[in-house]
Amino acid sequence: MTENKSQTPSSTEIEAARAAGQRLAASQKPVQERYIRRVVVAGLLLAITLLLTFTSIGFIPVPTPAGSATISHIPTIIGGILEGPIVGLVLALGFGVGSFFSPLVPVKDPLVIILPRLLIGVVAWLVYGALRRANRRTLTVMLAVLLGLLLYSSYVVGQRTLWLGIVMAVLSLAGAAALFLWMRKEDLGIVSLAIAAVAGSLANTIPVLTAAVLRQVPGITPGVALGVGLAQGIPEAIVSAIVVVMVVGALRGISSRKRGSRL
Amino acid sequence: MSYDALRHVAVGQYIPVASPVHRLDPRAKLVAFALLVVAATLASGYASSLLMLLVVFALVRLARLSLRYVLSAVLPILPFLAVLALLQLLFYKSAYGASVGRVFLDWGPLQVSAASVRAVAVTAARFVVLIGLASLLTSVTSASELTQGVERLLRPLRRVGLPADQLALVGALALRFLPILGETLETIGQAQASREVRPARAGRWRLAANARRLGALVVPLFVDAFRRAEELSLAMQARCYQGGAGRTHLNELELRAVDGVAMLAAAALVAVVAWLPRVLP
Repeated sequence: MTENKSQTPSSTEIEAARAAGQRLAASQKPVQERYIRRVVVAGLLLAITLLLTFTSIGFIPVPTPAGSATISHIPTIIGGILEGPIVGLVLALGFGVGSFFSPLVPVKDPLVIILPRLLIGVVAWLVYGALRRANRRTLTVMLAVLLGLLLYSSYVVGQRTLWLGIVMAVLSLAGAAALFLWMRKEDLGIVSLAIAAVAGSLANTIPVLTAAVLRQVPGITPGVALGVGLAQGIPEAIVSAIVVVMVVGALRGISSRKRGSRL
Repeated sequence: MSYDALRHVAVGQYIPVASPVHRLDPRAKLVAFALLVVAATLASGYASSLLMLLVVFALVRLARLSLRYVLSAVLPILPFLAVLALLQLLFYKSAYGASVGRVFLDWGPLQVSAASVRAVAVTAARFVVLIGLASLLTSVTSASELTQGVERLLRPLRRVGLPADQLALVGALALRFLPILGETLETIGQAQASREVRPARAGRWRLAANARRLGALVVPLFVDAFRRAEELSLAMQARCYQGGAGRTHLNELELRAVDGVAMLAAAALVAVVAWLPRVLP
């Protein structure tokens, strides 16, 4: 402990250094405090992204043929939510380039791996920004609209294959009910974080699979892409929501219902 | 899962050796690297893929590195790649009406044809070439050289408002903190394992439980990264970080003839790879 103490400056020392730095900086061209912080945070989140893309830590087991979902896009979502669209864009670019050179990603086409991913952080930022000030009623209306769309699509499917339509309708009703109950109980900040994370995650899955179909990646036909999208994209979105809420909650000190750490 | 593996990620490790490749200007290395990546992405036939493989092997030789080290990231996942290649081979069946050439096997949804064999071979070669190139670039260029190179290459874009030096700094920080955060993750993993938290092995169907277990690793990692970011930005403010404006370097970069030759050779390779399929399959 004593070693540690000698290395870490005390808070008064830090304050003094900060004041001295600010006086010096003010005498020259000022660079905003927030700007430096943003660059540094982007650098560290990029390091986490690379860590997750290049090691198997970034993959967790899910019930799909591929067997694992990625969480490597989560730093990008968090960067977008916490530091804005530019950091989100830079991180998304880093994520794309990282996975392009990662030995764990078998597809090596920049138009599939890099380009479609650019908007992950921006989408997360936009959705979070839009929902942050929303109240419970707006969210409920949005949920109702979503439920309506889902029921309509299950009706369309039901006209072709009856049982599939019924299963889809029941699933969407159950999902909407669960979401509604969760939204009523949970803190609104957490709800908007979770929705932003889901949106960011889908902004990874959908464009990448679309690009894979358009670029005719071997083995990815439209049917396969739809299957992968449902089987892989949904678990990834759920995992992203849980992890993003946990991380941002820990960083901001907000917690869900029960106070304190969940770990 | 072994956490020790984290420290041995072959990307981002500079190997100081005296070689003609190491001595190139970082800008020339970056431009040539980008051109070689373009060439590798364009290579779509047997001849061009083989050519790219040979070029990478030759460069590794020229840089006096061992091929085993440069491709060390590929070796542990070879079984996974083999299974994937097999699946690609069997399920390639062209759904786009393109001609598949000679058909070797046709059995329901399974089909092995000249086109699928070529797709698998080209994909495998491209994979090895790209991983090799990335590993080679980071082995022959130190992080600070890389940063300086990126900054100088992006400098003309400052006119249109692109913050070249900040972007280069983001990359440099990421490379610098990659091994540090890797070690942090290792420590967190061991700490959680000693508390009976196993990383994400609760079974496939327990999605939320898996995500929580993963959170036990990832949340402390993020918190640690943000704490480091806070300290570092404070230190940078205290040292009057101004962005790149007016910054000078101890060793200014200087392009020599051999750098020009390297870039031209890479550009020529792109042209050859683009033209080769017309003559050879």
